Amino acid sequence: MTSNNRRCVVSGLGVICAVGNNVEETWKNALNSVSGIHKTTSLDTKNCYADLAAEVHCDTLDDIECPDEKDRASKLCIKAMKEALNDAGLGDFADSSRVSVIIGSCVGGVLSIEKYHRGGKDANEIPKMPIAAIASQVAESCHAGGIVTNVGNACAAGTISIALACDLIRAGRADVVIAGGSDSFASVPYSGFLSLHALDENGCSPFNHCNGITLGEGAGIVIVESLEHAEKRNAKRYCEVLGAGVTSDAHHITAPREDGICLLEAMNRAVKNSGIKKSDIGYLNAHGTGTGKNDNAEINAFLKFFGEENPTLSVSSTKVMTGHCLGAAGAIEAVFSIKALTTNTVLPTLHYSAEDSVALKEKVGQMDYVQNTPRSKELECVMSNNVAFGGTNASIVFSKNPGDVQSLVAKDKKIAVTGIGIVSPIGNSKEAYLESVKSGKLPETASICSTVTNDDYKELGIKMAFYRKLDNLGQLQTVSGMRALKDANFTVTEDNAKQIGIIVGTSEGGLGATYDFQELITEEGNAGGSAFKFPHTVYNAAGGYLSILSGIKGYGVTITTGPLSGLDSIGYSMNVIHDGQEDAMMATGTDENIPIITELCQKLNVAADKVVEPYSDSNGFVVGDGSVSVILETEDYAKARGAKVYCYALGYGNGRKNVKFGHISGSGEALDMAINDALKNAGVSIDEIDAVCGFANGFKTLDDIERAAYARVFGDKLASLPLFQVKERVGEGRAASATLAAAEAALMLSGELAEENAYFIANGGVSKKKVATSGFKKILVTSFATGGSYSAVILGK
Amino acid sequence: MANEEIKSKLKAFFMSDLGVDGDVLNYDTPLFGEEIGLDSVDSLEIISFVDDNFGVSMTGVAKENFQSIDTIAAFIEKNKA
Repeated sequence: MTSNNRRCVVSGLGVICAVGNNVEETWKNALNSVSGIHKTTSLDTKNCYADLAAEVHCDTLDDIECPDEKDRASKLCIKAMKEALNDAGLGDFADSSRVSVIIGSCVGGVLSIEKYHRGGKDANEIPKMPIAAIASQVAESCHAGGIVTNVGNACAAGTISIALACDLIRAGRADVVIAGGSDSFASVPYSGFLSLHALDENGCSPFNHCNGITLGEGAGIVIVESLEHAEKRNAKRYCEVLGAGVTSDAHHITAPREDGICLLEAMNRAVKNSGIKKSDIGYLNAHGTGTGKNDNAEINAFLKFFGEENPTLSVSSTKVMTGHCLGAAGAIEAVFSIKALTTNTVLPTLHYSAEDSVALKEKVGQMDYVQNTPRSKELECVMSNNVAFGGTNASIVFSKNPGDVQSLVAKDKKIAVTGIGIVSPIGNSKEAYLESVKSGKLPETASICSTVTNDDYKELGIKMAFYRKLDNLGQLQTVSGMRALKDANFTVTEDNAKQIGIIVGTSEGGLGATYDFQELITEEGNAGGSAFKFPHTVYNAAGGYLSILSGIKGYGVTITTGPLSGLDSIGYSMNVIHDGQEDAMMATGTDENIPIITELCQKLNVAADKVVEPYSDSNGFVVGDGSVSVILETEDYAKARGAKVYCYALGYGNGRKNVKFGHISGSGEALDMAINDALKNAGVSIDEIDAVCGFANGFKTLDDIERAAYARVFGDKLASLPLFQVKERVGEGRAASATLAAAEAALMLSGELAEENAYFIANGGVSKKKVATSGFKKILVTSFATGGSYSAVILGK
Repeated sequence: MANEEIKSKLKAFFMSDLGVDGDVLNYDTPLFGEEIGLDSVDSLEIISFVDDNFGVSMTGVAKENFQSIDTIAAFIEKNKA
């Protein structure tokens, strides 16, 4: 049985979607087989072949603090969060570091992007645009002071958020996690799915007519709590959250694998990690979008996976009621699944005629695809599945019993850094980057970017048939990822493809591509979207392309929480390895600087007008970009394949002090917390730290926070402590710079970067000199995010 | 519109909108072969481009008409008003 300290329970639920503005209303309508799909009233449907959507109608969304500063996606999420906290008997958390927020989203603040573009480019819209705003604003609303993370895996994001919530609790990093997903109905996804001819003009009909999806919107929140914490406060307990499985198709950017084998693997992992039998699952809330490709892949996967052991499993898709709520889907369906479990009710897929039922039976045999009306059924465990663009598969199990959850089975394994891939404005390989460092290359202008060329593709053997599909972000990501694999001498084969996963960290992800898509449809109308460009708007497209190209079929998650995502990708990867999910992980940080990104920085008055260097007390920074990938693997795995080791990942930490998203002032003490948390996690004392790879970029507000925290944490030692700042060369490349700082630390520890410019802070002043790095044994790496989150990683010899 | 003009417009579209490298794209190069690697998403873009620019609908048209720039141009030629 799962030991008590690994048990995660659900203590509160919140939901808002087309069939209800709260759990009670939504559940009542679900039991009455009500569909929320109607003709859309909020978007222009001129010349569009489909005009149905499942929209939320709620006039109290603005009853929150500062509604003008929040996108509809945040408002939906905060509404569901408030209901869930109230349900759980929880309130304001007073910045407790034990309360985390993890929210998934697909299109994030896309309505604010549209408003900015159509409405005279008002700078106030900018902070509402990225997905990262959502979890941060949720945390700010209830003063959750723990780890704040957004998941950007499109339509599987909601499920992954709940899985990550359990990972944090089981790793002892949180007591309570507000987990879920949120997305709003908007022109970009509507036009995008139209361009793909993936909308059903008659309303979606999963496992039945399968002519396409119908978009919905909404948010779902599940309060996941450690058993210990829930017991202590005598909390309501709906159920346990057992294991989850996340895999990558390595197949196509929009279409799932027809054979469904990677979805099957996700379910297999979920069942295995839960320590249950397949036959313990009584109901499966399928992804069931209503496209032929998705539904057939699922039908195949369910038959193959459950066929013999659980032939009469009950299956349904609730998307005929809610529409496809994208990043919120997994969270809303988790609420449905949990209500189904606790009330012993299986929910139906709606709109089956007698003929439809006969046709379905031919496809699915004796499996129980519940149709039209709900039914009572004694349930022990339920499973909820979601899949996404980029090839992500996610599966999670909710249960009345504690199961036998497998977690942290490899927690004592040492994690080695064995490969580095760098794409930066000063070079597209580790070698080119090191050469530029040696020659003292600096930015030539205040806005710089990386450029991938055909030479990169040629060298890596990437064919035109593949690279022609990539947008800029995908180019940066695939080249850095493939270079990291090559550097690690890691050949992905059929045998090891499931033993390695990818975590991409990105600050803005597909925001630039979303803006470009919005620009296109503002001109052409919603009927004029591009099927070629639409996939790039999802934040996990870059990671998806890397999975397709490399063949990596294991864990695949994109986190998007600001610049620190490039360090959190390392922290979360360590967790995945320690959990025994994978033997190896690629942790990356990727962000792009296309013209709209520089424009947004300029509008926010954070872009410098000339080249500035760290600690220059400037009123802006050089806008940069890049992609940096790092291979992490257990020492055993590295040794077994004869890999060279750069250094070891010893520990990671996080800290948060809530300030408004888009701001950082006043949050500095959270950096101290992140550093101390990382030291504790690594079992290292502050005196053992020989150097710091930091995040200063020249912008006074940010740099002052960084140096003040170091002064507090290091005390007198700071005067002689070398601080390395990659942004002097690559600008503010957000997540890419965060991973680059870690890569530099690894290069110094391995001896490949023998000499480097170091900043020293003493007597209130800053000096700079070249230092030899050969004596370093342990290096601290730090990063930040607006809203008040900080992360730290410790690498050592 | 002369056949040559249709072909050159199509080629420019493949290069600018579908990321195809012009050096390897001849009028008879198989579009859905290994080298260019177009797929179902790209065919949606081709249909939309042909409709918008030549007023010819290729929705539901047999696969062989999509084989190369030559065959698409021939279809347009044959079906334009």
